[in-house]
Amino acid sequence: MLENLFYARMQMAFTLGFHIVFACLGVGLPVLLLFAEWRFLRTQDELWRTLARRWSKAFAVLFAVGAVSGTVLSFELGLLWPEFMGRFGAVIGLPFTLEGFAFFIEAIFAGIYLYGWDKLSPRVHWLSGFPIAVAGFASAWFVVTANAWMNVPQGFRLEDGQVVEADPIAAMLNPATAMQTTHMIVAAYMVTGFLVAAFYAALRLRGDNSLYNRRAMSLGLWLGVFFTPVQFVVGDWAAHVVAQSQPIKLAAMEGQFETVRGAPLRIGGIPNESTGQTHYAIEIPRLLSWLAYGDLEAEVKGLNSFPKENRPPVLVVHLAFQAMVGAGTLLLALSAWTVGVWLRHRRLPSGRPFLISLIVSGPLVVLALEAGWVVTEVGRQPWIVQGVMRTKEAVTRAPGIGGIFAVTMAIYVILALGTIAVLQLLARVPVEAETDGA
Amino acid sequence: MGPEHLILFVILAALTLYAIFGGADFGGGIWEFNTAFHSSDKERHLIQAAIGPVWEANHVWLLFVLMLMTNAFPSAWAAISQALFVPLLLALVGIVFRGAAFAFRAYAVGAVSQQRLWGTVFALASTMAPFFLGASVGAIASGRLELTADGRFTGDFLVGWISPLSIFTAFFAVGMSAYLAAFFLTREAMQIDDDELRDVWRQRSLATGMWMGILALVGLVFVGLEAPSLREGFFTRGWPMVGISALAGVVSLIAMWRGKVDIAVIGAATTVGAVTCGWGLSQFPFIVPPSITEDLAKAPANVLWWMVGSTAVGISIVAPSIAYLLLLFKRSSREPGSK
Repeated sequence: MLENLFYARMQMAFTLGFHIVFACLGVGLPVLLLFAEWRFLRTQDELWRTLARRWSKAFAVLFAVGAVSGTVLSFELGLLWPEFMGRFGAVIGLPFTLEGFAFFIEAIFAGIYLYGWDKLSPRVHWLSGFPIAVAGFASAWFVVTANAWMNVPQGFRLEDGQVVEADPIAAMLNPATAMQTTHMIVAAYMVTGFLVAAFYAALRLRGDNSLYNRRAMSLGLWLGVFFTPVQFVVGDWAAHVVAQSQPIKLAAMEGQFETVRGAPLRIGGIPNESTGQTHYAIEIPRLLSWLAYGDLEAEVKGLNSFPKENRPPVLVVHLAFQAMVGAGTLLLALSAWTVGVWLRHRRLPSGRPFLISLIVSGPLVVLALEAGWVVTEVGRQPWIVQGVMRTKEAVTRAPGIGGIFAVTMAIYVILALGTIAVLQLLARVPVEAETDGA
Repeated sequence: MGPEHLILFVILAALTLYAIFGGADFGGGIWEFNTAFHSSDKERHLIQAAIGPVWEANHVWLLFVLMLMTNAFPSAWAAISQALFVPLLLALVGIVFRGAAFAFRAYAVGAVSQQRLWGTVFALASTMAPFFLGASVGAIASGRLELTADGRFTGDFLVGWISPLSIFTAFFAVGMSAYLAAFFLTREAMQIDDDELRDVWRQRSLATGMWMGILALVGLVFVGLEAPSLREGFFTRGWPMVGISALAGVVSLIAMWRGKVDIAVIGAATTVGAVTCGWGLSQFPFIVPPSITEDLAKAPANVLWWMVGSTAVGISIVAPSIAYLLLLFKRSSREPGSK
């Protein structure tokens, strides 16, 4: 059983970690497509249309992989965690039902948009992209709503462990929903922006200084630059919500073992669970109390105030949180650099150091994304539904989960290699040769 | 009639549409698999062009069924997830590779070896997915899954789903998909005015149709012998659907023979749809016979009403969208404006 728990968690983490990158691009790329095509409609500059058209092919591939890896996740909820879905499906299934519709709209209009380049008038074609962007946003919102509920469950009454009453709307609109969904959707735009910028920065460093390349890079860059400061505001909000609703998760994120007033904010550091101390951290006095509760003297609950069997793995959660905030800070610095140069010279920075930083921003933004999910998911352990159901109670009894995990990894490696190979082929098509439909 | 019946109706309708549209998509791949050694680029291109704009949307029906089951009949879905652990995982492998390989092949422009590789994967996966989904349906219909009424699985995870009926339905689902695809592709070939392809697909339609007719008769015998609760349901509730399916099957063949392709396609879709509906109706009120009924497994009534409401709103948005998609890409060849 313990073996099942371990491999089922690894399987879920791995498949979610894979899907989330594609899901982010599925939410973010339509926005870039719409913008590029809008520029074409306004200026009649064919190069904008070429940009949108080339990106739409990459979008098609990424959307397909996102769709199939998302299908895996929705099956896995039942296959790996049958006790969870069986008991709480009624409470938290509604956002999944709604997500079903949102995904329908995405898939339908993706078909229309991708194959409609030559069938629709330019204006109608542009309009057909809007439902993709809106439904992508809505999909993300619904799915993250369900995750928020796992963190802060409400809207049901249990009798003998069985749900006897359920209020699906209260469950959806739990205290974590607004914060988590905003955090995720902003992250999706950041991931899209910086990944796109990183890709074209790499081409530019290799000598492609075409107008096409510069436009593509700046579109991605501006999307990332716009949303990065927003994410810091949302992150602050997130800290407040977690402090209120999951104090134990906050303690793990910060490596805070003792319950104290005026708790320090730790930068870096290695929490040691056996000694109950976090070593080698830079501590900024009282800042955590202020960030979490808006009061320099506020009490912050430490891990020691909670029974041992309810504590998440502190080391993983703390390091993941540091990684997310660290990567985010670097991206904020990059954004400041971009805006600073633009304000002074009305152009983007173009030197080698900037391009290299941009290339690095791609892996960094993905690191922040993945680390953020580790914080929220590992930080909730040992619960699958915080305080209500333990993860080990939810897991399937089916045999061979370890083997399935190995096969899954192999399959996903193939998917990743295939995606990269096809995207490379698409990128290699000369810009001038872009004529055929999708 | 309670809200759970409305949701059951929507689930059955969605399953039926998945069997028709998803089935036809799978069928395209199955045909590639079976004609791998003597099919031309032209044939492959036809399949690709036919599936391209619609496969993502057609694929959502399954997800939609899954979401509704999770929400409305959570304990039944949890039970199915355990009892059908192996076939659902295998179907999932097929679904993943089918979708990914199709997209990879479509966009791997100019890389012939990559396209060939993904084409092979697409063909294999398109066969694998309906095979194991069909097996899953058969395993449920057989009434032999060892489940208690509250959804605990007491059988064997590895082999508990295997029964004569589930093996039969696995092949039957593959056959139905191929049958549908042949009809749809005949129509697609006519739309691009390719007489040679049209004749090839017409012959394939007729041949598969005949074989599937025979197989369907065998299937009825199988249900009679292997699935007592389903047999009973056939006699009380499902028989009109059996009749409709048989009639539509015959009509589809005659129409195809006479070259009335639009009627033939509608006939083929009706044939397959009626099989799915017939299964669902005959099985009612069981979600998994002989233990789990819709009444035992259902979510609280207020949850179900929320679902009914959101489904109504959702359908009012999705239905016109799908209609637009199909009109745009599948319009009849005789109308102006299409190729």
